[in-house]
Amino acid sequence: MALPKLREFITPADAQGVLNALRNYQDRALIVAGGTFLHGLESRGLLTHVEALIDIQRLGLDYLESGKDGLKLGATALFADLETMPEIRNDPWLGAIKDALVFPPVQVKNAATIGGSVAASCPFFDVPISFMCLDGVVKCRGSSGMRDIPMQEFFTGLFANAMENGEFMVELAIPRPRTRSASAFMKVETNANDLAILNAAVRIDVDESGTCSDARVIAGGGVGETPIRLSDAEQVLVRQRLTPEICARAGLSAKGSVNPISDHRASAAYRSEMTRVMVNRALRQALDRLRQ
Amino acid sequence: MAKFDVVGHSVRRPDAYDKVTGGRGFPVNVTLPGMLHARMLRSPYAHARIRSINASAAEKLAGVKAVLTPGDVPQKKFSPLFFMPTESNELIRDLVLLSENIRYAGQPVAAVAASTPDIAEAALDLIDVDYEELTAVFDPEEAMQPGAPRISPTAANNIARTPTLSRGDLEAGFREADEIFEGTYCTQRVHTCYMEPRVCVVDSDMQGNLTVYASVQHIFGLREKLAYVLSRPESGIKVVKSPYIGGGFGSKLDLVYIEPLAALLSLKTRRPVRMEHTRYEDFITNARHPMKVYLKTGVKKDGTFTARYAKTIVDTGAYATHGPEVIMVHAVFSFFSAYRCPHQKWDGVVVYTNNMLGGAFRGYGAPQGCWAVESQIDEICHGLKMDPLEFRLKNAHHEGDAHPFLKQFTLASYRLADCINQGAERIGWKNRSRTPSGAGTKRRGIGVACHPLWVSGCVGLPDIYEHSGAIVKLNRDGTADLATATIDMGTGQNTTLCQIAAEELGIAAESVRMSYADTDTVPFDAPSHASRVTYSAGNAVKAAAGEARRRLLQVAGEMLEADAADLEVRKGIVQVKGSPDVNLTVAEVVSRAESPLVQMTAAGPKVTTIKEKGSIIGVSSMAPPGNPSPCAAEFVEVEVDTETGAVKVLRVVYAHDIGRVINPAAAQGQVEGGVQQGIGYALMEHLQFDPGTGACVTGDFLDYKMPTAVEMPAEIESIFIESDEPTGPFGAKGLSEVCLTIPAPAIANAIFNAVGVRVRDLPITPEKILAGLGKL
Repeated sequence: MALPKLREFITPADAQGVLNALRNYQDRALIVAGGTFLHGLESRGLLTHVEALIDIQRLGLDYLESGKDGLKLGATALFADLETMPEIRNDPWLGAIKDALVFPPVQVKNAATIGGSVAASCPFFDVPISFMCLDGVVKCRGSSGMRDIPMQEFFTGLFANAMENGEFMVELAIPRPRTRSASAFMKVETNANDLAILNAAVRIDVDESGTCSDARVIAGGGVGETPIRLSDAEQVLVRQRLTPEICARAGLSAKGSVNPISDHRASAAYRSEMTRVMVNRALRQALDRLRQ
Repeated sequence: MAKFDVVGHSVRRPDAYDKVTGGRGFPVNVTLPGMLHARMLRSPYAHARIRSINASAAEKLAGVKAVLTPGDVPQKKFSPLFFMPTESNELIRDLVLLSENIRYAGQPVAAVAASTPDIAEAALDLIDVDYEELTAVFDPEEAMQPGAPRISPTAANNIARTPTLSRGDLEAGFREADEIFEGTYCTQRVHTCYMEPRVCVVDSDMQGNLTVYASVQHIFGLREKLAYVLSRPESGIKVVKSPYIGGGFGSKLDLVYIEPLAALLSLKTRRPVRMEHTRYEDFITNARHPMKVYLKTGVKKDGTFTARYAKTIVDTGAYATHGPEVIMVHAVFSFFSAYRCPHQKWDGVVVYTNNMLGGAFRGYGAPQGCWAVESQIDEICHGLKMDPLEFRLKNAHHEGDAHPFLKQFTLASYRLADCINQGAERIGWKNRSRTPSGAGTKRRGIGVACHPLWVSGCVGLPDIYEHSGAIVKLNRDGTADLATATIDMGTGQNTTLCQIAAEELGIAAESVRMSYADTDTVPFDAPSHASRVTYSAGNAVKAAAGEARRRLLQVAGEMLEADAADLEVRKGIVQVKGSPDVNLTVAEVVSRAESPLVQMTAAGPKVTTIKEKGSIIGVSSMAPPGNPSPCAAEFVEVEVDTETGAVKVLRVVYAHDIGRVINPAAAQGQVEGGVQQGIGYALMEHLQFDPGTGACVTGDFLDYKMPTAVEMPAEIESIFIESDEPTGPFGAKGLSEVCLTIPAPAIANAIFNAVGVRVRDLPITPEKILAGLGKL
């Protein structure tokens, strides 16, 4: 049965309503918005404990704002809306998000939300690791107010994250870079509605002289229970003038720092090799964007 | 095409809009008043014996109306195949509706009917089953070893059958050979992935008569198997034909557990009972058999076959079901009779394992054989430095040859050479590079494969039903109703058969409507399978329409005071040949035939003739006159990413000889659907199981990958070589299955052309290509 213990589908009109429902049901509640991952979870028997679904789509969290500090993306804003933001479409620093949004099928894009994709804490998702490489920050709300959790500390395990019982995600903030920056995302998949066999998101920042001042290299999709940041690969890039050779070296370093799983979708050896290829290709893509 | 008014035109399907909007005609949408919902409890173990089963808590749950456990159902052994007589010696009857002996993970052990699906599901948790777990074996070659767990009590070493075929002197043939090639080619388990799940609603009346609605490819087969399993008379079971079903592709050619269980639950509760599979249940119900084919082939330097040997191991799963039959079709049509060769031998082994059951799937054993044969031909040509087209043409059958297996028939229409030559022209074969081409990390290649011999139905094959029937009745408004047991599983046969009737009747395609049918009211029909419907059912429909037309012309002759032989009917008008001014509409003729004998006119009562009275109707029930072979050549261009191993199919040119094309758009749809399933088979589809428990790990579309629109090539060109099959309705023969037997070897051969990597086991995953390139 889909949700054998389900007792209530709650649609609160405000944040307090959500907090009340969360207090009542504790860890037996599940926040939903687009609901695109619900079937995948329930059919694998992962929602047998759920007694209440709390739909947060009436809270007015579907905003997408751009200011001088960066982007503020409401938790219930849709992928389809995010995709049409001019900055996402045009700015090199947001290239990773643009790339990641290519992959979800249109049915998913029209229903899936920013908050849902992040809070689901599924290590095989695409869009969240694009936020990770941009140093995104999860803003969550609990009974004692708002709390910030950096994306890089957000995922704590398979379907697990750093939010406490009683808290829920309301926004994802992405800081605007202070220097020239470009990002990119790459994915290995079998067909167009696949979870990642391996995915990678990278960001490179360069100073006026064209030297790399900072970098992020993130890999997901079977490299572990959460997406992981590959600091060794980042160190290959920092303080270097970026060339295809440096990108290739960072890819090799990335391959050396992952210890992926083997499953029915791909072997560990293949995922390791794809870490190298995808990190290298994503860096080359970011480099091309930087030169635009 | 001026010869025909209706045939050869892409008549639009009248049910298209209805279907894409989830039409009421799908059996999944059938509901009856007071209907109960039933669910099955399935074994978590792949090999076990039930020590005890206690359902008393489930029976007490509010809303539960009936529970069935092994003790409540007939223990009669049966074979579930619709298309063969139940008592056929070809079959092995070893399936039991609910058994205490568990042979695969997911085998049903109990069923519950309740007032809602949720209550039925909840009741399953309350059934207490005590299992004695036994050691399971999943690999067919391990299963054959001495000391392996015994799955069937009657099959030593778990071997169900060991058929052979032989012709000539194999050893002499190998002695004549200049070169000998050997290879082993493996295929995986795949599902048809129809859209509509297996579903049924069974009702019973106070006399114990059953009425059945089900998503199946054969209403008479369902009636026969149900009657056998339940030991009830066939005449007490009425299976209602659905206007259409949501796909089948072979998966709906056998009885599954739901139909007899729903029948027993209905008889027990005196209520209609509905059972529907979840997608997971569909995935573990039946699948294309995995086969391992060893080939040893001797050739002359000029490319002539001198000797061919093959050995095939078929994993038939936990019960024999299709195993004994699929291996024969595989052997004959994809190996033994595919090409000309004087010395041949084939050995088959059908092996029991603790895997899920095998089933029918478009091609029925041929995709596995074509994979081996057509891959190896490419290897032979590479070894001999010979053009693969020249090689195939050299060894192919010719038009007018005796049929290579069905000796009573000839290959009266057979244009494989035209398929090869025209396809080669369109793909640009002569510009194909022998060495990998392309830049950067991407390499492109072109490959070819053929399907030389196939069927249009099953006439001549032992113990397979092959006849069809139709009723064509003309209406007073000039239209006609066509009733036949033929199921349209998505191929467009409702439209194609109406076109054949319309052409024969001389009325517009839109004037023929596919009408109601059930097993009580229409003649027997074999299933929709074996590429047979257009040819076989088409011949029956043409005969019934021809009979109706003869009667129409007789009545018109009475009315026009002309000899019926001097009349013709075209575009809804009956006229005297050569004098088109002397005419009547079909509507006028039918109205007259059904009018009272004495008609009141302005001038007073007028007596018409007795001879012209009676509904104008034609009925047929007949076996088709032959079993012509369609044939095909497919060319594909692929691009291989040498860093990821990913393969993209860029272009497909598919040339078929299918005789006259009745509906070009429908035929093209068959080809494109076949390409989609073929690409899935070649590159990604794979039912996988936990190696420890045998539980399916690819039980939904998140884990079972098939090509979406994104993976499909932008260009699929269908070329139809319109031969004129003398025994076919308006010259037509079969099509469906040759569309998907060839893509896998064609793609493999294109990959070899692109990157020089030969993969012999399906699916060709990116990992296998990278390993072949030495990068893993």
